[in-house]
Amino acid sequence: MIYLLWSVVFLFALVMQGSISLFDIMPNFTALVAFYAGIKYGDIRGLTIGAVIGIIEDSLSGAFIGPNLLSKGLVGYMSSFLYEKFFVWNPLLGTISVAMFTFADSLTVFLLRSIFDRMPVSAGTALLIIVVQALVNAPFGLFLKPGKQQA
Amino acid sequence: MPKKWLLLLVFVIVSLSLMTYESNRQHLLPFKFLSSALNRFHETKTSLLNNISAPFHRMMLREEENVRLKTEIGKMLEEQYACREVFLENKHLREILALKEKERRYVTSARVIGRSSDQWSNTLILDKGTSSGIAKDMIAVTEKGLAGKISGVTDSYSYLLLVGDINFSVAVRLQENRAEGVVSGTGFRKCQLKYIPYEEEVKKDDIIITSGLDMLFPRGIPVGFVSSVNKKDIGFFQDIEVQPFVDTSKIEIVAIVRKE
Repeated sequence: MIYLLWSVVFLFALVMQGSISLFDIMPNFTALVAFYAGIKYGDIRGLTIGAVIGIIEDSLSGAFIGPNLLSKGLVGYMSSFLYEKFFVWNPLLGTISVAMFTFADSLTVFLLRSIFDRMPVSAGTALLIIVVQALVNAPFGLFLKPGKQQA
Repeated sequence: MPKKWLLLLVFVIVSLSLMTYESNRQHLLPFKFLSSALNRFHETKTSLLNNISAPFHRMMLREEENVRLKTEIGKMLEEQYACREVFLENKHLREILALKEKERRYVTSARVIGRSSDQWSNTLILDKGTSSGIAKDMIAVTEKGLAGKISGVTDSYSYLLLVGDINFSVAVRLQENRAEGVVSGTGFRKCQLKYIPYEEEVKKDDIIITSGLDMLFPRGIPVGFVSSVNKKDIGFFQDIEVQPFVDTSKIEIVAIVRKE
């Protein structure tokens, strides 16, 4: 049941991501899902869910498989440590951490694509896109609380 | 090294290896299969989204079309009004032309370019003056009847004192019973017919024309009609109200004719 729920959430994020555009910039809602998986279920499951999300997203993007696989997996894994080891959740920290992880995710994808394929956009445009995606995702940090064992 | 970190390291290495492999060669076959399967999902998703958004899209298109059509209707109405304006002006000019052909004392026709700026004087400013042959005390008529007389004139402009002005008077005759009198302006809409003896039979809607006895206005020009008659019990004359034929608020072009 829980996997079905996650599938629905992921598909919804994917659909929304493909449907919304802000200044011709698509948001990065799948990073939110990976992030939440990490803070909810811990590192290993976060990594697994993030990797699955990433590989599906890579496949749907039509480009080569890998960048999102790695970046989302890392987000799922690293986010678990945030409230497990370092911080206690609060709305401000939640907002900042979501923005930071989204930034890191998008930056990782951009760098990996640039390294292993071609630079998809110029560095300046990439920075703009990454910042906008991070800012769009930031408010969701108010609602994405960790599970009880992490809090 | 903890097990978790080892797992992460393996994950990173596998991912990087995969990307390195793919960057040098084609996509991996299993992933190609996954990709095509997911693309089908993507297609379904797009189709579903299109189905959901299509009615809204059509609504937006209809809205845009609606706005465009409204704009076009506005433009067409403007054109229609312009055409109507030209049509009415043409009608006016034809009437003036007919008047010109009929009236041997015709001097010129003039267009109204302004009105008196206060409520208390009934004058119009005409776009022609002495250079067009207009002189003081000439008469202004329209196709309906007497409009007034020229009260002042410059080279290029002239001032028309309207029938309704308090300073305007004209010798008239009742068309029906030929009784003579004087029509004077009251300063507001209607005029007054003076000096009609008490014993004269004056009916409502009797037509009043100029008599020419004042040596100023040519005889036979329609002035107005009797709108009300009030026979007082005292005095020599009746109190008669006259409605001028010419609606002074709607005058656009007048024909100027010489005085008698």
